[in-house]
Amino acid sequence: MDWLIFLSIPFKLKYLRKLLPFVVIATVIMIAMTTFRSGAQISKSGTSMENLVSVSSTTSSTSSTTTSSTSTTEAKPTSVNTGPLLYEDSGTPATNSQVEQGKIYFDQSCSSCHGIGAEGSSRAPNLVGLGPATIDFWVTTGRMPLANTIVQPERKPPRYDPSQSLDIVAYVTSLGPGGPLIPNVSGVSNASIAEGASLFALNCAGCHTITGAGDELASGAYAPSLHQATPTQVAEAIRTGPANMPRFSPGIMTNAQVNDIVKYVTQSIQHPDNAGGFGLGGVGPVAEGFVGLLIGVGILMLFALWIGDRS
Amino acid sequence: MPSLLKKDKPKQTGAEKATAGAKWLDDRLGLAKGGRVFFNKIFPDHWSFMLGEIALYSFVVLLVTGVFLTLYYVPSADMLTYHGSYAPLKGTQVSAAYNSTLAISFDVRFGLLVRQMHHWAADIFLGAIAVHMCRVFFTGAFRRPRELNWIVGVTLLILGISNGFLGYSLPDDLISGTGLRIMFSVVESIPVVGTHLAFWLFGGNYPGNGVIIPRMFMLHVLLVPAIMVALVGAHLALLVKQKHTQFSGPGKTEKNVVGTPMWPGFMFKTQGYFFLVVAVLAGLGGWAQINPIWQYGQYFPYKVSYAVQPDWYMGWLDGALRIMPSWEFQNFGYMIPNMFFPAVLLPGIAFNIFIVWPFIEAKVRKDYKEHHLLERPRDNPWRTSIGAGALAFFFMLFAASSTDVLANYFNISLNLVLWFFRFATYIIPFFVAGITYKICLELQALGRYGGRRKRFNVVLRTAEGEYFSEKTPARPGDLDVLSGEEEEPLELTEEVSEKIRESSELIGVSSTELNKLPPPADQGVKRVERD
Repeated sequence: MDWLIFLSIPFKLKYLRKLLPFVVIATVIMIAMTTFRSGAQISKSGTSMENLVSVSSTTSSTSSTTTSSTSTTEAKPTSVNTGPLLYEDSGTPATNSQVEQGKIYFDQSCSSCHGIGAEGSSRAPNLVGLGPATIDFWVTTGRMPLANTIVQPERKPPRYDPSQSLDIVAYVTSLGPGGPLIPNVSGVSNASIAEGASLFALNCAGCHTITGAGDELASGAYAPSLHQATPTQVAEAIRTGPANMPRFSPGIMTNAQVNDIVKYVTQSIQHPDNAGGFGLGGVGPVAEGFVGLLIGVGILMLFALWIGDRS
Repeated sequence: MPSLLKKDKPKQTGAEKATAGAKWLDDRLGLAKGGRVFFNKIFPDHWSFMLGEIALYSFVVLLVTGVFLTLYYVPSADMLTYHGSYAPLKGTQVSAAYNSTLAISFDVRFGLLVRQMHHWAADIFLGAIAVHMCRVFFTGAFRRPRELNWIVGVTLLILGISNGFLGYSLPDDLISGTGLRIMFSVVESIPVVGTHLAFWLFGGNYPGNGVIIPRMFMLHVLLVPAIMVALVGAHLALLVKQKHTQFSGPGKTEKNVVGTPMWPGFMFKTQGYFFLVVAVLAGLGGWAQINPIWQYGQYFPYKVSYAVQPDWYMGWLDGALRIMPSWEFQNFGYMIPNMFFPAVLLPGIAFNIFIVWPFIEAKVRKDYKEHHLLERPRDNPWRTSIGAGALAFFFMLFAASSTDVLANYFNISLNLVLWFFRFATYIIPFFVAGITYKICLELQALGRYGGRRKRFNVVLRTAEGEYFSEKTPARPGDLDVLSGEEEEPLELTEEVSEKIRESSELIGVSSTELNKLPPPADQGVKRVERD
């Protein structure tokens, strides 16, 4: 009954039973490895710490708002539009209450590394003058606040909802002028996917891969998957160049071209036309080879076992 | 009176008509003799003898689907504007080759199914060759007198890999273009003649002036398949001429082959298997997407996608390229480019060793005898461990072709993965070979046939605390290996004798002469001991 002739391992039930503990252990290790990444994303102990901090900082919020340069000390919850400008093509600046609320969030979650006035420290960079697009990108993609210090922050469910994020953006922007504004992606509906595909292959696929699956670069740096990015985040990333990504300023890439890429990423990349069946993860021949060998040749070998003599 | 004439002629049944037709053909072509050899051909029943058939039938599917694709594919690099039904590329500049592949995928009825079946069939064709080759290698089926058929088989493997690469490059999409760019550099890296050769193949410096696509097309659909069809024919003709090998067993000797004749029996089995192969290929072609070129876009030399891998059978070469350190050698004013070692020298040495392996083994083992009985892998630990080590080496190279995917998936630094493979590729094969050798020896001790056990050793401790081990008393069915106890000769059961009488053929005797000889079972069959 020794049919696994290649390895000369006798195939008998009792041997399988002996293997079972190893199979179970291997499965557990594999599951642990696959969840390793998501484990790094959400630090559970971190959230409870932040809650403690939030209690203490809300009590002292009235005194700390005085350090804000552009906001008044009267914490009136009315929408007084004297805050900084956040959006491209929009004349409406942020309100004072946004700036004040943003200061609370900033003190809670950002100041421990970036400093009370966002001036930076030995652990984190100065944020003054980076501009609304940069702050918005890092906070809305969940990369900031950082769960643990690794080579490159990872995308994770954001700590703050969009309006809270905008408060932080308003506060940090209020500390100093400069930097790109949050891009306006309303023109995406009129953009050209074909042009976007061409620009993507030329400028983005070199790291993010042509299917947008993302990949490892070097020394722990990586190009993230684009499958969860929102249109605004894609445009922000292009304009601000987060982490290792190069920055494409309006002189290099026009707003229309950015919109083309945004449309291509959020439509063709995030919803690929898998006309041929299961997409196999969009990682190309690696997955195809495994399917061809394990499923294709594997099933046919089982058929041979079924048809042929086994002794 | 035509009606009367008709009555004179006796009415023929369908079978009689067929017989008459066959006789007509036989009188003119002499088909009966060949047909007799064909129908009497004996096929051993062991399942592992079906593995080569996966390759054969995938090849048939490749030819049929390939003909269909040739009807629609346009081998031209001329640029035109895309007007097909894949919306995201509408209005862009694409080559005629890419345009026609998109048309096959979206606008030709059954086009995408056939294209995907063709690609899956190629992957599985080479996978089946690899598995079949393992069977032949590990059981020693390549030994004298079958060295030639081994060489034909290895040649088919090389041609299959080459044609796979050519076919992969034909659609002119972003990923295949990158592969072609690498191939240009590989050819260019050959010392002295490299540049001339690469410029000659591509019609100038890369990307050439558009001649490479028609040239690859000619090679892919005409030259290489024609050679492969001829070699498959030779492979099978040699198989019929030399007859099958078989595993040893009751009544199976170096002089006979026991199994199922082509007719009646094996023909139905193999037909059924053909349908199963086609079913699996069609299933994969219909459900599992392969090479979605529309997501990749037209190839331009100035565009590149990160994380480009070739199809799996080229993976080991890609892996070798990836883990090659950036060494360059300057000798006598000439530089041997870095790529030459992993991409030209490595496959060159590997395939040459494959080809001459039967002769190497005969020389090293001093075994020049004819062999028709197969060895079980455990019975030749020397060969089995070398084979397992070689497989481990190629597997490590193969895995090294997805360094980036591994690093990304497990969230490890790419540099670490790369350095791991740079060492592990050379270390792990030795461990695998050593462990395999040990496993073979252990399995040998289990006995050749089921039901025999190794005798246990028990560890005893005396009252003084001294430990020693001794064998347990022998029980019926135990095989005492160390004492060299002889295995009792195998009894031929009536059932086995019947099988040998009914369905076996003799080595070195043509099938047509078989009927004149007494049945093999009456010739005093005895088990042939091997060295």
